[in-house]
Amino acid sequence: MTTASPAQDRPCEHCGIFTIGNLAAQGAWRDITYSPVRDNIWTASEGIYRTIFLEGEKGCIAFDTLTTPGTARAYGAAVGRVFPKKPIHTIVYSHEHLDHCGYAADLAPTADIIAHSYANQVIVARESDGQLPATEVWEGERKSYHLDGCYFELIYPGPTHGDGNVAAYFPQSKVLFMVDTVAAGVGYTYLMDWHLTHYIPVMKRFLSLDWDIFVPGHFWVLNRQQFIEILGFWEHLFEFGQQAIIDGLDPHDWKGLNRYTDEKLGPHYRNQFRYYEYAAMNLSRYMQEYLSGGWGIEGNLKPVTTAL
Amino acid sequence: MTNENRGLFTLEAAQSYLAAEPTLDVTQLSNRLWSVSDGQCRTIFVEGETSVIAFDTLGTPGRARAYKRAIENTLPGKSISTLIYSHDHLDHAGFAADLAPGAKIIADEICAKVIKARKAEGQLVPNAILSGHKNQLSIDGVDLTLLNPGPTHGSGNLSVYFSEEKLLFSSDTILGNAKYGFMPDYHIANFVEYMRGFLALDWQVFVPGRYQITDRAGFEQGCDFIEAVQIECQNAFQEFVPIWAFQPMEGYVGGKLRQRFGNMEGFDDHIGMIALRIVHHYLMGGYGLEDTPNPGVLLADEVTL
Repeated sequence: MTTASPAQDRPCEHCGIFTIGNLAAQGAWRDITYSPVRDNIWTASEGIYRTIFLEGEKGCIAFDTLTTPGTARAYGAAVGRVFPKKPIHTIVYSHEHLDHCGYAADLAPTADIIAHSYANQVIVARESDGQLPATEVWEGERKSYHLDGCYFELIYPGPTHGDGNVAAYFPQSKVLFMVDTVAAGVGYTYLMDWHLTHYIPVMKRFLSLDWDIFVPGHFWVLNRQQFIEILGFWEHLFEFGQQAIIDGLDPHDWKGLNRYTDEKLGPHYRNQFRYYEYAAMNLSRYMQEYLSGGWGIEGNLKPVTTAL
Repeated sequence: MTNENRGLFTLEAAQSYLAAEPTLDVTQLSNRLWSVSDGQCRTIFVEGETSVIAFDTLGTPGRARAYKRAIENTLPGKSISTLIYSHDHLDHAGFAADLAPGAKIIADEICAKVIKARKAEGQLVPNAILSGHKNQLSIDGVDLTLLNPGPTHGSGNLSVYFSEEKLLFSSDTILGNAKYGFMPDYHIANFVEYMRGFLALDWQVFVPGRYQITDRAGFEQGCDFIEAVQIECQNAFQEFVPIWAFQPMEGYVGGKLRQRFGNMEGFDDHIGMIALRIVHHYLMGGYGLEDTPNPGVLLADEVTL
């Protein structure tokens, strides 16, 4: 028979999928800001990552866990500060990535966890230290939840980013929350694990719903018009990526990518948030969509375009 | 005005790019085996008793035609009877319709499913499907072993081992240099372990899917290099390097590895891209079910062959 070690005896923080020993960053405390969104919906952020939590009648429902064990604990403390008598009894995973949903063991280890089947399949196979599998798995495109006086709908619109990436829709509050799809600015690292074939048509499906506040997984809260404009930028890059190939640009030529984007995109977008950090690598990713084709089966299925 | 197979291109202006037929470099590797390169992508073809077995198609209709012409010039009188796809990507296997539209096409099951789902113009769906980690085939007098150790790059990536030549061909996995770019559609979780598994076989010549041919030592250096980047990316995370920014990652990982790997061609131009990609593996946990210790393929049942 084995027993869990007391926290002080643990060899390290929850390690995620790290294989090295020194994990100081995992445990580091990050200050969390929090603010009300509308009705019983609150948002929390450590500056880069953003999520939401809900005030229920008896406790709180937290979406995601934030990025590290230390951040997850800080997130839990922030929720506890806002609602001192209302513990987190439920966690809803937006998708399966560790930087958003990797540390339920540090946020609220006994909470119920809701995830889409696609996300949970990856989580179970990953066996990442600190990422807890779901206790309730749902399938399909849409499911309504009445939990502790809170009502929300989870929507899986099709492949967008990661696996089983779902939006939370609050129809009474006209609020939509979705992670790593639309965020402020015109740059997004290398668009890691994005399914570009589906991205635009699938995200446009959300425009059939009635909402005016969009809470993304990073940076600040957006309105509906900003959501539409940001999608427009990403849609524009599909032709831009093709043209770059036609013009003979090598997607692995970092200096060339930067020269090309400076010349062609810069005049239109260089004043936008994160343009200089990511325009070149975003172009490289879009070029790959045409050079290699979409990635995997999920990156090649025909997108669903019907209204939600 | 040309009307080339488009792959996934939608711009009319792509026609000139798709049609261009470059001069290819052909290298003889044995009395029956050749490698061909367009300067970036590389593949191989084999002379059978009555026909040619070609791997991949190269990445445009024009390049596929140039590939076909290179084979005809090398082996006059013998046509391509069999195509083997290394993996699903269009830049390697996208234009069988222009290379050998009547050939038998062999591919791994997952590769075939991706291609069927993609419906790219010019990319023909395989009609001879393999599954499992190892398939030993005899085609027109040529014995070869097709190996799929698990997810490495793309979908259903098959490597081929020629025991007679002591030669391994593996497309877009290990390279003979450091020019990996952002490592598009690589599955990092088991990559080095799976690639090192090939070292159990007796071979001395390694033909990668890009750039120059290398040897066993070059292959081992490639495995060591990717593994070292994986370790330094973790260290970067733990040392509070702003891991989502290009220049800090380039500086940190490049600085740590330059002494050991700086002699690899393309190191300075690519280390930032490689590091940014790999550090996100640890941040996010990998891409999909392929990129886990227990790999599988999500939605595989959505496509039937």
